[in-house]
Amino acid sequence: MSEKATQHFIEVYEETRAALPGAGGWLARRREAAIGSFREAGLPHRRMEEWKYTDLRRTFEKASFGPAPVHEGAVVLPERRSASAFAAIDRHVLVFVNGRYRDDLSRAGHLPKGVELHALDDVLHEQWAKDLVERRFDDARQAENIVDLNTALMSDGACLRIRKGVKLDKPLHLLFVAQDAGASHTRNLVLLENEAEATIFETHIGEVASFVDVVTDIVIGDGARLNHVKLQDEAPDAVHLATMRARLAAEAKLSSFTLTLGCGVSRGQSFVLFSGEGAEASIDGAYALRNRQHADQFCVIDHAVPACTSHTLFKGVLDGESEGVFQGKVIVRPHAQKSDGRQMTHALLLSRDAAMNAKPELEIYADDVQCAHGSTVGELSKEAVFYLRSRGIPEAEARRLLVLAFLEEALDLAPHNQAKDALKLLVSEWFGEAAP
Amino acid sequence: MLEIRNLHVTVGGKEILKGIDLDIRAGEVHAIMGPNGSGKSTLSYVLAGRDGYVVTEGSIRFKGKDLLEMNVDERAAAGVFLAFQYPLEIPGVTTMTFLKTALNAQRRARGEEELDAVRFLKLVREKSRPLNVSDDMLKRSLNVGYSGGEKKRAEVLQMSLLEPVLAVLDETDSGLDIDALKTVAEGVNALRSPERAMVVITHYQRLLDYIVPDVVHVLSQGRIVKTGGKDLALELEKSGYAEYGADAA
Ligand SMILES: Nc1ncnc2c1ncn2[C@@H]1O[C@H](COP(=O)(O)OP(=O)(O)OP(=O)(O)O)[C@@H](O)[C@H]1O
Ligand SMILES: [Mg+2]
Repeated sequence: MSEKATQHFIEVYEETRAALPGAGGWLARRREAAIGSFREAGLPHRRMEEWKYTDLRRTFEKASFGPAPVHEGAVVLPERRSASAFAAIDRHVLVFVNGRYRDDLSRAGHLPKGVELHALDDVLHEQWAKDLVERRFDDARQAENIVDLNTALMSDGACLRIRKGVKLDKPLHLLFVAQDAGASHTRNLVLLENEAEATIFETHIGEVASFVDVVTDIVIGDGARLNHVKLQDEAPDAVHLATMRARLAAEAKLSSFTLTLGCGVSRGQSFVLFSGEGAEASIDGAYALRNRQHADQFCVIDHAVPACTSHTLFKGVLDGESEGVFQGKVIVRPHAQKSDGRQMTHALLLSRDAAMNAKPELEIYADDVQCAHGSTVGELSKEAVFYLRSRGIPEAEARRLLVLAFLEEALDLAPHNQAKDALKLLVSEWFGEAAP
Repeated sequence: MLEIRNLHVTVGGKEILKGIDLDIRAGEVHAIMGPNGSGKSTLSYVLAGRDGYVVTEGSIRFKGKDLLEMNVDERAAAGVFLAFQYPLEIPGVTTMTFLKTALNAQRRARGEEELDAVRFLKLVREKSRPLNVSDDMLKRSLNVGYSGGEKKRAEVLQMSLLEPVLAVLDETDSGLDIDALKTVAEGVNALRSPERAMVVITHYQRLLDYIVPDVVHVLSQGRIVKTGGKDLALELEKSGYAEYGADAA
């Protein structure tokens, strides 16, 4: 008998499995296996190195989440600006409410030929979907194991396949709204065939005690390119768990940027595997936390083949009693010469009670490589605040200017200009908000 | 305009200013000279309101108000400006953004209308040209990568834009070549008016050829030990500070 919090999810599985997509097929068998592994491993906890700073078991002991209801009625978008951050950008929009796709709210206009966009249920019979769901990376097993929970319970998701050489005409925006309290398990699948291109925005908003568990499995073919901009801004009693697993073929490019305005407890996991030479991945982010928010970024880059480039920069500011975590690993396999891997994390503590835990690591088995990692934790420079104030800038505004200046280096990495400006505006407004 | 009475200031537990009395009236330019470590910058920081400079005795009144009761940005909005001896570099905040934020913050504090982007740009251009501050400098991060002389010119630009009532220039001449010195002096002189007062801290008589002071003070070991006319600066140039008891560095 596993402990209570783990057992809770197993019971949910047993009660709901008959109604989950893919019943009777390969996915049903896959779910069985996944829930078995989940039962065996249990919810991760702080005695596991890869969960040292984010104890999910405790999180779910303190707050239990039943399945979020299917919400069919009207949806009131939360007041927060994050809900409309990308609204001015010409884009396709898919809306998910409580983790379920809502066709009536979505607006995916006419898609170019060679672009296939479906909800999860509609692609389960396709081999590529099966391949993506079943693939494991195994670079950080304790971290990746939690995907089993998603595999067992996933109920919906956005599935995008772009045929060879085709470009998605405008960004695809996946808007996830937590409307009612409870858990949702979402699985997104993205397959870009050779030389295909796409930009995806992903927003998670909500003002309820939700547990949003989202896994995005990505394959990027030879010379293909994926830009990804994610924004997460959920309620103080919400839990957010996101895992991105991406495999890049030769000369493929992935630029993924996440702005975390957080929720109660959030963890973003990124796994990148280079499977072809000359590929490039940039996994970056910025975060601004306050009150008792906790946000964890976990990032593993596997240079399994030679001559690939990876870049990771996370910059954040921590106010109140908030806590930030960065755990990262760049692995360079023995024959992966000419690898270039960089992993940096910098945090500013705006309050005495805020804390940052950073652990970037390198595991290098090749000799002809360029790798660097580093982390800093600092405070706003008192001298700089004084200098700005001595010119008549009030203290709050001086601090805001300096914090924006600090985050700018990271925000500039968001791989879409209008989205980048929208994120900058959000961060700037973050300061104006009264602490709830 | 500025009345300093028996001002005692400690920094890091050590008394640096030991009873300063100073009266500055509108329209006047005062020069403060004195050996290294005598407390000149300390005095300027106390006027600006920097943390860690503790007034243990005495008072400062500015335009009839208790300056020590005002916080740093209130003082600036009331018209106190300090051109720093060592201007700080602020990566990520462009000079342009900084200037606009500062000017509009002061206008707001005084109940004046804020300038929009167009009017602001016009004003900055107008003020930058005579100081040889290029557009390129304005677009860069504040003071980052500026040469010593460029930093000082940027300080004077801030001053001409903000049009303070009381300007304190802490060694704005050091590190300037002769042409830059003239440019800066012209910038300062352009601001001279019957409503404004200036305090020019310097080690060199040369600057005072261009910015001619009404009064010259000698500060030594935290006290004003001599006050005279502009000729006092010439005397000091010749004889040094020996007779006033030079400070231990
Ligand atoms: N934080 C501090 N703790 C202790 N002493 C300090 C501190 N800051 C400054 N001082 C001391 O205060 C004295 C006055 O310094 P100040 O910078 O005011 O001198 P100054 O007259 O401006 O000199 P200079 O001509 O070299 O610019 C110096 O002896 C200096 O070492
Ligand atoms: Mg000095």
